[in-house]
Amino acid sequence: MDLVDVLMKLSNLDGPSGYEEEVIDYIKKEAQKISKTDIEIDKLGNLIVRKEGRGKKIAIFAHVDEIGFIITKKEFGNFFRFSTFGGIDPKAIISQRLRFHTRDKDIAYGIVGMLEPHLQTDESRRKVPSLNELFIDMVENVDKVNIGDIGNFSSEPFLLSEKYLTGKALDNRAGCAVLLYIMEILNEFVQRSESFFVFNIREEDGISGARGICYRIKPDLAIILDVTHGDISRPSYPRIETGKGPVLDIGPMISYEYFERIKNLAEKISVNYQIEPTGGVSNTDTDIIQISAGGIPTLLISIPLRYMHTPYEIVNIKDLEETARLLAHFIARGGE
Amino acid sequence: MYLKELTDISGVSGYEKKVREFIMEKIKEKVENIKEDNLGNLIAFKKGRERKKLMISAHMDEVGFMVSNIEEDGKISVIPLGSVDLRAVIGKKVIIGEREIPGIIGYKAIHLQRDDTLTPPSINDIKIDIGAQKKSEVEGRIKIGDFVAFAPNSMIHKEWFSGKGLDDRGGCSLLIDLINKDLNLAYDTYFVFSVQEELGLKGARISAERIMPDFAYVIETTTSGDNPEFSQDRRSTELGKGPVITPAHSGYVNDERLFNFAIKVARENNIPFQIKRRTVGGTDARAIALSSGAPSLVISIPSRYIHTPLCVMNLSDYENTLRLFSILLEKEVE
Repeated sequence: MDLVDVLMKLSNLDGPSGYEEEVIDYIKKEAQKISKTDIEIDKLGNLIVRKEGRGKKIAIFAHVDEIGFIITKKEFGNFFRFSTFGGIDPKAIISQRLRFHTRDKDIAYGIVGMLEPHLQTDESRRKVPSLNELFIDMVENVDKVNIGDIGNFSSEPFLLSEKYLTGKALDNRAGCAVLLYIMEILNEFVQRSESFFVFNIREEDGISGARGICYRIKPDLAIILDVTHGDISRPSYPRIETGKGPVLDIGPMISYEYFERIKNLAEKISVNYQIEPTGGVSNTDTDIIQISAGGIPTLLISIPLRYMHTPYEIVNIKDLEETARLLAHFIARGGE
Repeated sequence: MYLKELTDISGVSGYEKKVREFIMEKIKEKVENIKEDNLGNLIAFKKGRERKKLMISAHMDEVGFMVSNIEEDGKISVIPLGSVDLRAVIGKKVIIGEREIPGIIGYKAIHLQRDDTLTPPSINDIKIDIGAQKKSEVEGRIKIGDFVAFAPNSMIHKEWFSGKGLDDRGGCSLLIDLINKDLNLAYDTYFVFSVQEELGLKGARISAERIMPDFAYVIETTTSGDNPEFSQDRRSTELGKGPVITPAHSGYVNDERLFNFAIKVARENNIPFQIKRRTVGGTDARAIALSSGAPSLVISIPSRYIHTPLCVMNLSDYENTLRLFSILLEKEVE
C-alpha cells in the first residue's frame, strides 16, 4: 500500500467524534485489500480486524475520529453559533472554511468570522475573540443547516516537502494509516501472536469507543497508537522531534515490562525512538483501556506531530514508516 | 467576472506582477493604449465623447507578508505587508516567492497554551513551516525578501463568493468588466490598476500625478460589520444591499458633486445602493485628490472579513456595482 496516498485520503475524509462512518468505511475497504482474515464493525461503529497467530492476544488501537464543530444556534441571515469538541484554539479557526454535513447529507460550507479589525475598538483588537464570540457565516446551503449539524476543517492535505505531509485530522489518521501499514507488513511474517487491529471511534469527545472492545477481546497487551507534540520545547520535558522516530510513552498508565521489551526490540532492529514521560493522565485512549476488563497492560506509542488540532497538522513520513516497522516486529514476535 | 481567477493569484503589495500580467492579457485587445509605469501601475486608455479626463482605479495588491529571516530550525520569519490581522492567520496555507513554495503558518498547540489562548500572536510568533528541519534545507529554495501570500482558496457558492484578496481584486475584476463592456464613454477614460495601496496608497498617487484627471472614481471592496454581535447602528455596510457610496473616509471627504451624482444615477436607474456609515480606512481616492487635485469618489462592493485569508462577498452586490459604474462612465458628471 502507498502510505502517503492512504494518509492523504484519510485526512480528506470527515469524521468528527460520533460521525466516523465515512472513515470507517474507507478503512474497511483498505483493510480488505490487505488481510483476508476477519473484519468486523461492531455495534458502536468500531472496526476490528483480527489476524490469526499462536501466542498472546495483542490488541492495537488507533482512534479514527477528529475534532469537530456543532451548530448550536441560528442567528439571522447566514449566521450561526457553534460549539466544539476536542480542544480547539480560537486563533486557529478564525477565517477558516468549515465543512458541515446536514441531515439530508448535503455539504454546507461556512466561514468562521470575526468583526473586521477596522471596525473593532482598540481594546477588542488586543484580544482574540473567544469561541463564544466567533460565529459561522454559512455561504452555501444555508437553508439546509440545522442545529446539531456537525462540521470539521476543510483544509486539503498535501506534501509539504519530500519528508513532511500536512493536512487536517492527522491526529489520528496518521495512526490509522500506520495501523493499516503494520497489517500489510505482517503479511510477510510468521506471527507469534493473535492480533486485533482496532480502529476505534470517539477519542476526541472523551467517550472512547475502545473500552467495550477490551471486554470482548480481553487482550494480554493493548498498544495504543496516537500522536504527540513534536518540535516544540516544553519546560521540564524532553524535546520530542519529528523525524526521530516513534515516541514511547512512559508513566503509570504504561506497562513497564512491555515498555522495556519494545525499547530493547527497537535497539535490536535499529529503529530510532524517543521517550516521553507522561504523568497521571495521557489524554489518550490508554487511560481508559488500562482500567478496562480487569486491567490491561498497555503501551502508548506516539507519532510526533506539529501543530496539533489546527487545520494543518504536520507529520514526518519516515516517522510513520519506522513506527510501523517497530510495531510489526513487536507483534510478530508476540510482544517480546 | 474574474473574481475567482484574480483572487487566486498571489499579489501582495510590491509583488503585483502576476496580477498585472493576468489583467494585461484580459484587456489589451480592448483598449486604445496600455502601459505599465515605473512603479508597476497598469494604465489603460479609452477615448470618450468629450476631451475631459476621467480616471477610474482599483488596486491590484493584497495584504500579506515578506520573508525576513530563515531561522536555524528551518522556520521562516516574516514581516507584514499591509495591515494583516495576526489573529486570523494561524493554521493557514501560504505561497512563498516566485517559485510558489507552499508553507503553513503553524502555532503552538492549544494543549500547550496556558493563559495565552486569547492573546493575539505577535509577528515574532508567526513562523512559516515548509517541512524543513534546518536552515540549510530552506536556503536555496527561499530567500529573504520573497513574498508570502495566502494560498488560493476561492469558491463560488451560488450567490456568495469566498476567497482571499477580495480587497481589491473585486475592484480589479469590475474594472476589467467595465473595459470589456464597450461602453459609450463620456470622457477620455484612464483605467488604472494600481500598486501598493495597502502600503500607503502609493500607486494611485503616482498615476494621478501623471494623468491629472478632471474626475476620479475608485472601486474598492469595503468592510461591512453586519455580524451577529454588532448592533445595526454600528454597521458600516451590509451585504446584499448594493454598492456602497462613500461620503467620507479616513483622510478624505469625498467630492460632494460626484457623491450626489452617483446617488442620483443609482436612484434613476433603480440600482440598490447604500451610503457608507463609517469613516474608518483610507482609499486611493485620498491619494488621487492629494496628488492631482481631482474631485474623487469611492464606490465599493461591501464584503466581510477583508484583510483576512478568507473574505466573503455577495455576488448581487458585485452585479449592482457593475451596473452603477456602467452608467456613471457613460454620463457627463452633473
